Amino acid sequence: MSGRGIQTSLLLAMACLIGVAHAQLPPEPRHARQEGFLPDPAAARLASFGFDALLADFYWLQAVQIAGGSGSPVGQSHRLGALLDLVTQLDPWVDHPYRFAALWMTDDEAAVRKANALLHRSFEYHPDDWRNRFYLAFNHYYYLGEDAEAAAVLEPAIDLPRAPRYLGRLVARLRSQEEGLETSAAFLQELVRRAPDEYAKAGYLRALDEIETERRARILDRAQQVFRERQGRELARVEELVTVPPAVLRRLPPEPHGSVWELDGQGTIVSAELRYRYRPKIDGTSRGLIQQFREKSQTGRGDS
Amino acid sequence: MKHHLRAISAIATNTVRDAVRNKVLYILLFFALVLIGTSFLLATLSYVERERILQDVALASIRLFGAAIAIFIGVGLVHREVDRRTIYTILSKPVSRVDFLVGKYLGLVTTLWIQLAVMSAGFVAVSLASGAPVNGGHGIALALTALELAVLVAIATLFSSFATPFLAACYSVGLYMVGHVTRDLRALGALSDAESVGVLTTWLHRLLPDLESFNWTIEAVHGLPIPYDQVAWAALMGVGWCVAFLTTAALVFERRDFR
Repeated sequence: MSGRGIQTSLLLAMACLIGVAHAQLPPEPRHARQEGFLPDPAAARLASFGFDALLADFYWLQAVQIAGGSGSPVGQSHRLGALLDLVTQLDPWVDHPYRFAALWMTDDEAAVRKANALLHRSFEYHPDDWRNRFYLAFNHYYYLGEDAEAAAVLEPAIDLPRAPRYLGRLVARLRSQEEGLETSAAFLQELVRRAPDEYAKAGYLRALDEIETERRARILDRAQQVFRERQGRELARVEELVTVPPAVLRRLPPEPHGSVWELDGQGTIVSAELRYRYRPKIDGTSRGLIQQFREKSQTGRGDS
Repeated sequence: MKHHLRAISAIATNTVRDAVRNKVLYILLFFALVLIGTSFLLATLSYVERERILQDVALASIRLFGAAIAIFIGVGLVHREVDRRTIYTILSKPVSRVDFLVGKYLGLVTTLWIQLAVMSAGFVAVSLASGAPVNGGHGIALALTALELAVLVAIATLFSSFATPFLAACYSVGLYMVGHVTRDLRALGALSDAESVGVLTTWLHRLLPDLESFNWTIEAVHGLPIPYDQVAWAALMGVGWCVAFLTTAALVFERRDFR
């Protein structure tokens, strides 16, 4: 074979070799295969040689690709947590990544708690942003069932710039779940006292009115429980608490608005005027999702 | 004195002329401008805070390419003249070695600052085109980047006064990298159980140029308040390092034998 023939053959052989070898290698980038190496934030800062912000952007874009890419973000909470921890340590003044953590790190309790830790970090760098406190309070209430923590986190947000007016009433509702109605009422009285305008004051007074309604509804709840135990059936009408012998109550507590008490679709006693009970409002679908999340977290804890 | 100033001015002017003929300069400037321009595309990968990403990338490009130009042109500053033997002609005239070195330094700093002005114009244009705010903080960040580049040129001048361009580039890049991590090293050293590590990192931070003092890009991009006293101290420190490196370079260069 001539020299040129050997060279051509060698080139063709190498092209085949490269093609075969390349075909064996995974075409996806490392982060898509969840194999990407994520450095320790302190090491990353050291290795950035002053380009911290640029490196933070790099990891932020990776986080966005995970949440918004073609693959499902479910089950990626922990990787997102590591990425967002890097982003917020390299450039702690970033704004949205803190709330992004709250939105997407919801696979299990550990992920939610990691997101909460990131949101806590945001308070130092964005002390005037009510939204970070709102997202943290939501995580405490919705995923972790920690109403008192949610109220404690949200309370300082009431007076922050651009905070919505309903925050004070929401805090009162959250407090009513664990700390009782008296605490909520005292809190609302304070809000009424320092209300910046009549509109806000009217909102807080309405919430106080709801608390009074709730206080009476809870008396009826206890009576309903006694009725159930005595009669072995559910109430058909609220008046049965008084009319069915032996009567649980001598008379029904008056409905504060001059209206009546009635049973809602789930058999809960409500005021016919308000038609809801005093607790953070949550729809049936969301309630089911919370239940699923908490059961999953319980199972996870049991497994570990 | 007048005579020295005239000599320095003539050498600086020639250095600018020489530098603008350097193709490497244009290649680096081209890439810097391309990266500043494409920062707009990179920012679109995020659905929020696009302006921040755009300015982060653009300012990082300016700093990175500025440093690259400073080091890679700076390290050849003296060597080229020796290599082309033009240094003999220059030094045979009534021009001292110090005049030569200072002239070369000032010429390259002027060239770099022109480059920086071009890149800054690109940054402002891209920012305004994409609706990202440009304020005084950006001006301060860019001014301190200019000072950092002047320090880098002084470092490169020092190493080029006694080493080959390759070695001078290695030393300069090394010092540039270390200069940006001394603060973090000091913080990490303070966490160490071994007291000697803490002492060592503290002295490293004190003795080496703290180049992070010139990095105000995060504050500029986030619109954070910039403490003017710190900027003033950083500027003063920058001038101090430039003079210190140039003086050392002059001491070395005066003893150098070109035969």
